[in-house]
Amino acid sequence: MFLITEDSSQILAAVRTDGLFDRNVGGATMSGSTGADYGEMILEAAEACPVEIIKFELQGDGASEAVTEAAPAAVVAAVTPAATAVVATGGSEALQALLGGDRSLAILFGSQTGNAAGLAEKTAKLAANYGLIPTVYDMDGFDPATLASHKRTLIITSTWGEGEMPDNAETLWQSVNTQSPSLSGVSFSICAIGDTSYDEYCKAGTDWDEKYVALGANRVHAIQLCNVDFDTPWSQWVAEALPMIACVDDSGTLQEVLLEEMKEYGSGSGEEVSSGDFSPASIVQSELSITLSLFRYCPAAADTGWDTIACAIPGHATVEDLLVAVQHDVDGSLAFRRGNGNGSPTSGLRVNGRIVLADLIQISDLVSDGGVLKIEPLPGYPVIRDLIVDYSSFETQRSSAKPWMRADPRDGHTLLSGSAMGTMDLSTAATLHAMTDVVSYQLLQSMSDTFAYDSDYKGPGILLQQWTRSIDPRTGDAQQKELFDSIGSEHGVWSEADFSSVARYGSDGRTASKALNTARGKLLNSTNYSGPHGRLVKWYGRSVKWSGNVNETTLYRQVLGPIGLLNNIFDGVSARMVLGFTRTGAPPFRSLQALLAPPAGIGKIPKMVNSKVSAHHEVVNLFNEIDQRF
Amino acid sequence: MAIKIAYYAGNTARAASSEVEDCIQPLCKTLGIDLIELPKASSDGGNIIKQSSPKLQHALVARNLALAESKGLDVLTTCATSHGIMCDTIEEFREDLSFANHVNNIVARTSSVEYMGESQSRHLLHFLVEEIGLDKIRDAVINPLRLNIAAYYGPNMQRQGACGEDDPFMPTYMEQLITALGGTPVEYDSKCQSVGAPALLTINKPVMRMTAAVLSDAKSNGADLLVSACTISHSNLDSYQSKAGKVARKNTAMPILHLAELVAFALGHYPERFAQLRTRALVIGG
Repeated sequence: MFLITEDSSQILAAVRTDGLFDRNVGGATMSGSTGADYGEMILEAAEACPVEIIKFELQGDGASEAVTEAAPAAVVAAVTPAATAVVATGGSEALQALLGGDRSLAILFGSQTGNAAGLAEKTAKLAANYGLIPTVYDMDGFDPATLASHKRTLIITSTWGEGEMPDNAETLWQSVNTQSPSLSGVSFSICAIGDTSYDEYCKAGTDWDEKYVALGANRVHAIQLCNVDFDTPWSQWVAEALPMIACVDDSGTLQEVLLEEMKEYGSGSGEEVSSGDFSPASIVQSELSITLSLFRYCPAAADTGWDTIACAIPGHATVEDLLVAVQHDVDGSLAFRRGNGNGSPTSGLRVNGRIVLADLIQISDLVSDGGVLKIEPLPGYPVIRDLIVDYSSFETQRSSAKPWMRADPRDGHTLLSGSAMGTMDLSTAATLHAMTDVVSYQLLQSMSDTFAYDSDYKGPGILLQQWTRSIDPRTGDAQQKELFDSIGSEHGVWSEADFSSVARYGSDGRTASKALNTARGKLLNSTNYSGPHGRLVKWYGRSVKWSGNVNETTLYRQVLGPIGLLNNIFDGVSARMVLGFTRTGAPPFRSLQALLAPPAGIGKIPKMVNSKVSAHHEVVNLFNEIDQRF
Repeated sequence: MAIKIAYYAGNTARAASSEVEDCIQPLCKTLGIDLIELPKASSDGGNIIKQSSPKLQHALVARNLALAESKGLDVLTTCATSHGIMCDTIEEFREDLSFANHVNNIVARTSSVEYMGESQSRHLLHFLVEEIGLDKIRDAVINPLRLNIAAYYGPNMQRQGACGEDDPFMPTYMEQLITALGGTPVEYDSKCQSVGAPALLTINKPVMRMTAAVLSDAKSNGADLLVSACTISHSNLDSYQSKAGKVARKNTAMPILHLAELVAFALGHYPERFAQLRTRALVIGG
């Protein structure tokens, strides 16, 4: 029925009597019984919508004479003020009372090129600091009749051509001039953008300023005229206008006596506002003198090496800051991948043995004064140049792993279209969310020591995505099976040689290794402990249950089997066990055992039969209580 | 006065790696460490049982820790994997009290002990450096090592909370200890890298390549021999080194020994074995 985009909404011709396809500003009625049939649904949707996009009105007896008016996306965004999350405990009672009342603020913009719209958005974000609940309105399609209901109004508008309103403001301007609504009780301020090279500098803004005063509104702060370089004057205006308009109370009265207090509140400098003030603290650390050891690789010369650079850098600087400084001051050819300053998943590096995101980790977390900072590319990926690695293998693996949600038929609710929409309870959602709460799957791959030595191995970053998707209850049966098969396939979760190499990298590594260990458990059950992996777990458990200690001879025999044992003879493993390895202890008889009974053990020759630990029955009871499969 | 600590031999010191057991007892006696046996202690599951049942592995570990706790002692182990496994359970219990209570109830029902979080795990390396002190060890040296020695830590104990005050990612404790014992530590990059010990029997080529990478890295940096803090990784590094070299086409031939052996030799125990080792390292080379 509607075609809604980011900045407009249009009504389809099929449901209109005039057969047009536009915003239906003229208010053409809806065809047939569309209005009556879907009226309730449209009203419901409109109510649920956080922005006012669709206007729907029933006329007459309401049966079939429905009129729709699709305004453009008049409301751009509603910004929830941080300060309302927790009301500051500081400040006078009067300020508390002011902050406790209605705090709505309308910010209207008239914009031709988007500058005024951008400033309106920025203004809205700052308004939240003063306990205001701002809503940004595009003047296009704005109902002039509602102007008076916005007791606090800020207008940001540019001027077009020779003192004309921008296109999106023209209709509203004409309407206001025609209707002259009373704006008594409205407090306002204007920020006008213009160009001094034109005669009618900022005229649209001054027109609105005069009109608002003429219609009875109260100007709480003088109009700000901004030239083409508008950032600075806008900042000055917003710093004064916002606290002033924030002092307008429920009744529309300006409480100017609270202005200084409001400014303090807005700046977050009050003594007891920490719980509601989400501005991050600025942490400055002292300068560190370090030696930087930097990996370099030039593909053209096929040459690798290390640069050693003495640096002095603030401890709070990130690794990326340091690399930028080196690139700027020492060697412009240094290549590294820049992040977004907030933990970019592809900004990974190995620094002093740690797998880190360069744009997130601070130097002081890695090295102390006088120390060495060794920076290398992320392990496991091919290096393109210097510190830049090629992630294409990751992308290829992910592409073939297909860990994203696919619309298989699945249980759950259905949408209006009839397609299924899976459901998930809160507890499962929390579990899955915790499992996938990793900063970078690319980094997770590098945490595995196996990843660098098995080019076919999917890696923990891919497997974790597959596993969490496979246990997501919204995933359909077919996709679940496909993912599970892939996890258990030749290059899947069994290819990880040692999860402890992943688990040691903080919470991300630990989360991933735990999750993938669970995947292994499920695979073991589904395959009934078959194959070498299953046999290893089964016989390890059994031997521990039998004696309290693991018997390596049993493991060796059961897991490798006769072919594996023969291979060890040909590969020289058995020979080294018996003759060549670094035997500095154990009776020589043990070596002879290997000749007499080849499946004698792993490494140095173990006992053939374990003696039982004391109170062995306690171990058996533990097995029987927890897991009777062994 | 001797320092008392409970001793957990791990999964192989009293089996395939019996030389570790040979050495730990005399070296502790020399340094005034009184090892208290835990005859009821069982295998910790070796991170293998965990793949089928994490709860069972945690219960086995909790029982061992509880046995030490009932004597009012921490646990000393020579195996990095065993130490890592105990630290895992300690951390899991600390983070999830209801899980800890649940497992403890089962352990109490079956073994009449409970782990209350008092007893902690200590690896021999951390215990020697932090509790005994390098000065005391240096003073006790009878046969200085006089070899270029690469230290292998592995990944199991190189994480926050499991490696004492040492740096988890760029550790130096073993190098400090080697220096105190009269040897020359060899720096190399892959000293914390896994050699894939848990998958030795199940994944062939990648594990061999991982093993070869560590050995060849140590060797190319000038090591005469490699000392391991992990009894389980020891098998990969030692018995499988020629196979690893073949698979990865790298020179991997090098004597391997466990930390307990290295310290015991320097403190004057088993001089004939030490002589044999020096011959292997300096003459035979593998």
